[in-house]
Amino acid sequence: MIFEHCIRCTVCVENCPVLRVNPDFPGPKQAGPDAQRFRSDREKAEDEWVLLCSQCKRCEMACPCGVEPAQIILKAQQRYGLEHPRTPAHLLFANNYYLSALGSLTAPLANRIAATKVGKKIFSAMGIATYIPFPKFRFRKLSWKKRTPNRRSRKVAFFYGCFINFYRPDIGRKIIQLLKSFNVDVVLPPQWCCGLPALGNGNLELARSFALKNTASLSNYIDAGYDILYSCTSCGLCLLHDYQGIMDIPKAKKIAENTYDLHEYILRLVDDNYIKPQFQEVRRKLAYHIPCHLRALGIGYPAAKLMSLIPGLECEILDDTCCGLSGSYGFKKSNESTSIQIGNRAVARIKKTGAGAIVADCGSCRMQLGGLSGIATLDPAEVISEALGITLVKKRKS
Amino acid sequence: MSVTEYDVIIIGAGVAGLTAGAFLAGRGFKVALVTSGEPTACLSTGCIDVCSRDHNPLIGIKELPLAHPFHLVPEKMIRESLDNFQTAMMDMGIPYTGAPEENRLVLSALGTFKTSCLVPSTMEAAPQNTKDSIHIISFAGLKDFYPSYIISRRKNTKFSIYDAGVSSTMGIASHFEEKEFLESFIVWLKGQNIDEDKIAFPAVLGLESAAEIVKTIANRVGKPVFEIPTIPPSMPGRRLFNALKDYFRKKSGDIYWAWPVVGIEKAGRLIEAVVTQSEGRPNSLNARAFILATGSFVGGGLTATREAIIENVFNLPVHVPGPRDTWFENDYFSFNHGIGRAGIIVDSSLRPAGTPMENIFVCGGILADTEILKNGCGHGLALATAHAAAQSCMEYIR
Amino acid sequence: MIKADVIIIGGGATGCGIARDLALRGIPHCLIEKGDFAAGATGACHGLLHSGGRYVVTDPIAAKECYDENLILRRIGEKCVEQTGGLFVRLPGDSKRFRELFLRGCEEVGIPTDVISSTKALDLVPNLNPEIEEAIKVPDCSIDPFRLCMLNIRTSQLRDGIIFTRHKVTEIVKSHGRCIGIKATDQATGEVREIRGNIIVNATGAWANMIASLAGCEVPMTLSKGSLVITNHRLTNMVINRLRPPSDGDIVVPNEAVCLAGTTSLAVENPDKIGIESAEVDTIISEAGRMIPHFNNTRIIRAFSGVRPLLKSKKMDSHEISRGFQIIDHTNGMYSIVGGKLTTFRLMAEKMVDTIMASFKLKKACETAEIPLDGQEELSGYPLSKRLADMNDIVCECELVSKKEVQRIINQTGTRNVGDITHRTRLGMGPCQGGFCTFRALGIMNDMSVISPEQSMEMLRGFLQRRFRGIRYALWGDQLREEQLVEYIYLGILAMEKPQ
Repeated sequence: MIFEHCIRCTVCVENCPVLRVNPDFPGPKQAGPDAQRFRSDREKAEDEWVLLCSQCKRCEMACPCGVEPAQIILKAQQRYGLEHPRTPAHLLFANNYYLSALGSLTAPLANRIAATKVGKKIFSAMGIATYIPFPKFRFRKLSWKKRTPNRRSRKVAFFYGCFINFYRPDIGRKIIQLLKSFNVDVVLPPQWCCGLPALGNGNLELARSFALKNTASLSNYIDAGYDILYSCTSCGLCLLHDYQGIMDIPKAKKIAENTYDLHEYILRLVDDNYIKPQFQEVRRKLAYHIPCHLRALGIGYPAAKLMSLIPGLECEILDDTCCGLSGSYGFKKSNESTSIQIGNRAVARIKKTGAGAIVADCGSCRMQLGGLSGIATLDPAEVISEALGITLVKKRKS
Repeated sequence: MSVTEYDVIIIGAGVAGLTAGAFLAGRGFKVALVTSGEPTACLSTGCIDVCSRDHNPLIGIKELPLAHPFHLVPEKMIRESLDNFQTAMMDMGIPYTGAPEENRLVLSALGTFKTSCLVPSTMEAAPQNTKDSIHIISFAGLKDFYPSYIISRRKNTKFSIYDAGVSSTMGIASHFEEKEFLESFIVWLKGQNIDEDKIAFPAVLGLESAAEIVKTIANRVGKPVFEIPTIPPSMPGRRLFNALKDYFRKKSGDIYWAWPVVGIEKAGRLIEAVVTQSEGRPNSLNARAFILATGSFVGGGLTATREAIIENVFNLPVHVPGPRDTWFENDYFSFNHGIGRAGIIVDSSLRPAGTPMENIFVCGGILADTEILKNGCGHGLALATAHAAAQSCMEYIR
Repeated sequence: MIKADVIIIGGGATGCGIARDLALRGIPHCLIEKGDFAAGATGACHGLLHSGGRYVVTDPIAAKECYDENLILRRIGEKCVEQTGGLFVRLPGDSKRFRELFLRGCEEVGIPTDVISSTKALDLVPNLNPEIEEAIKVPDCSIDPFRLCMLNIRTSQLRDGIIFTRHKVTEIVKSHGRCIGIKATDQATGEVREIRGNIIVNATGAWANMIASLAGCEVPMTLSKGSLVITNHRLTNMVINRLRPPSDGDIVVPNEAVCLAGTTSLAVENPDKIGIESAEVDTIISEAGRMIPHFNNTRIIRAFSGVRPLLKSKKMDSHEISRGFQIIDHTNGMYSIVGGKLTTFRLMAEKMVDTIMASFKLKKACETAEIPLDGQEELSGYPLSKRLADMNDIVCECELVSKKEVQRIINQTGTRNVGDITHRTRLGMGPCQGGFCTFRALGIMNDMSVISPEQSMEMLRGFLQRRFRGIRYALWGDQLREEQLVEYIYLGILAMEKPQ
């Protein structure tokens, strides 16, 4: 009954990136608390337009009354998905984990096919947008990395997420090296997709199955004294918010209490005096695009704090706009125009700063902003590693 | 539990909170601002109302009832707060026009006149009487603005409609930020060959660049242009909030979004920390002093049950006009409803009455006896009391 | 001068029902109402179409009437009656003997009942108090009373009935001791209309005695104030009644996207001077809270009172006075029809028109029970969730009222009153109680040039003032927050001036 608190102030509407560009979406107020008065569990769902919500959570951050419009809409999306046939694109992205695993296994070939005109036509026919390049699969997934023995007093289990695993394992390796340089043991626990793509594409059941497996695995590591770390802020929000929330996973609270954002964790190490990082000068001008889900996590912007310690680094924080991709949202042709318009607005802001590179914790944001602007993108971990003089020891390139 | 330390923590991100924050952060203190959602300011006209009782607001303030919190702020500080505000807004790209000795008029969407003191430059050209002839440009499908209200009350007013392709306030404002859109619009506008004295718009002329956009249109068309504030979603309110927020950040203040305060820690007569919820672990924010700027009922600072009125963060004693039956008079337009006087009573150091705690300071809409609508003193009071509270707080810490 | 065979004074359910019946039987008629339709008890009731269960123990005749009418209205008003069903819930401590009397009474009257376990009841209505012992299912239904009046009037309009709303009857014209007509003042313009008729029907409910006195007659009545609160949203999809002798606060009715809970019963003298009190609000909430615990914390958006027009009786507790009705022949050409309840309005109308037909020595039978109500095709109908399919151009976002609908009403009725739009579309009846949509609706009226500048500000002010009366006693918690926002909008952003 949380939606009772809505006083129709429209602060959520002021924040919704989709409403600004897509007149078919009535906005978080109408889609959430307004429509909820007319929804009933016992009646058929007729609100197809709820699918237009990208779940960026900006409405929830803005609401002064605790209404949680995005959550109301998420539940309505699930209901709609259960009662109406799903499009091929929805099915594809819900099973992103399996498909990426397949793509990764057949890596160089899969990438080449995806980049051809024929490949693009197939994607188009399936309702997948191709305005930015599809991420390339990597054969040598992160999960292949061998475990290292744990001897140190701080130890973490790294939940790396699908983006790093299948597309950018190099960033994953850098993060591991970074943590090691802080005297922290890192293991890679058995893990599956966090479940967010399945949730966002109307498959709660599949999302739950991933969540149950992840919870069991991570729970063991917590019991053994490990802290859980994530670096993708969307994985983080899913683990901390959706596991306890819509997925209703038992023991989810325990996971939430022991899971940290990478930079939040590093800041802790600094605060506890466990490390005294000596940052070297990095003469760069960066635009830090804050991922919407990082805002939603409620941990502030820890990477920004860390980067503010790097001498010579100019880092402007941009947290007023969504990138528009929202995971698989922008990859669906039906959302293509919406996603591009939102993204272009974010790019315009970035370009105004005159920054040489865009920093963002979320792989989705990097894909979108990099793809639309042509500007280089970096994970904050890469910047921090650079400032500490950590470089990847490159092994055989795949 | 994660623990973070600051010099001052401000609760509430409205005009009062952000101003007090910028004041302290600008003087080198470590300041964090915690908020549960965005403030009422986002919905306001963006104008700084100081006191509508007299043509000269400073004289009007002197005529306020003795209990009014404006009397706690010396005139010098009131002038300073307004001056600082104008400097800050100029810095952030949304200049404000006006002077503390002279109220000015803003044309409302009903065709009435609103009295204010400092107005955004986009409203500078608003007519101060009924003499100017006005041409109103509205937008197809915009359901929150009806030129006919104004036309029915002013003889020398006409209107035209432009089809922007989108029909929501946010959508149109977002489009105006795009160069091509603005250009085609100006070309169309020039083609209208308007011969009235001034051109008026509902306040949708852009998100952050409105001041520039209004100047551009006025220059190209060769006539004064002004905005008319709309019912929420309100662009001028949004711009004010964004500017104050970015200014605070520029002074190195930290902002934590969507952190409802769920508990406090105290030792003796000092508040040691506020505890807030987040997705993972509760956060404890420690500080030497706390500023409460959570607003009135709309802002969420005060809650009324059927029996009592409660202050939501520190549970401070609230001045209540009487039992529930006395909160309102029969006449809606009496401007004398008892509930307008409810709030926190403070002493000359802006510390709350009726509590032994030494390190809490209070400012803004949550103060008692403000009667904001009757006295026309919303944001102006927030600016002045924020300065006073911040000053007091600073003296306390040093 | 307008002439009609029958003049009906009063546009509540009874008056509108009589207009429809006369129309179907081909009798020229004219209806006068001082406010908008359903301005009296009709508009201030639960909107409950009784199964009759509530009366089986105390008034079995009334119960039978209710049940028969319930069946008829479900048939003729398929699209406007929501067949919610109802539950009579028994809480720990409620008399088991009453339960027996209830079931026996229902059986004798012929009301179908189904005794269900508390588990089943909680499955049907999850918000019920988990401590209920059992529930008895009955065929209660819910209806919007304004809509009911509107649809009845439709029939009259389609057959050339003359309808005047916002016209106050000031004089009953007599000639040689017989009532031959009325004079009524147009409340908007002050113009006086004179209407001549052969028969005058006084269907003014709580004002029956006042109107009768204009003809030098008397209608002895007991006026009983009943108050209701409206919740922000549907806490139940079925009507919930308390299984005990009728008392305060023991009914909760779902209606459109809200619930109505009540009622109370306090004797009053003057139907124009009533207002709800805080204590009544507290009573209703606490009683409803016994059946649906969430009531104690839920958001109330409106609290108001209406007056029950009851036949004068020696019984003191007006809950016990029969809700049966009476037709009084004043033997001077005027009849008064008093008492009754919403559920039996059609029957009351039938009896009244039968009497009229007899006095005209005409023999057309009543068809109102057979022919479906006119105008239902314009309704969006139920279930509510169907309305979410189209979200285009919505003016009232709380209640999903579109611009097209508003324009249609303005054109169809020629109204100059926002209240009329509210009654016909539910614009402004949601949680913000017209905070945003009033501005829009009046703006549309301005755009359509149907009001003058002076009228526009006056109407806005009048609307806000009337609205305030209905919400003033519901202002705490979220609703107070809402109200402060609406205040900022009208008195701050829109800078509405203090009235001179």
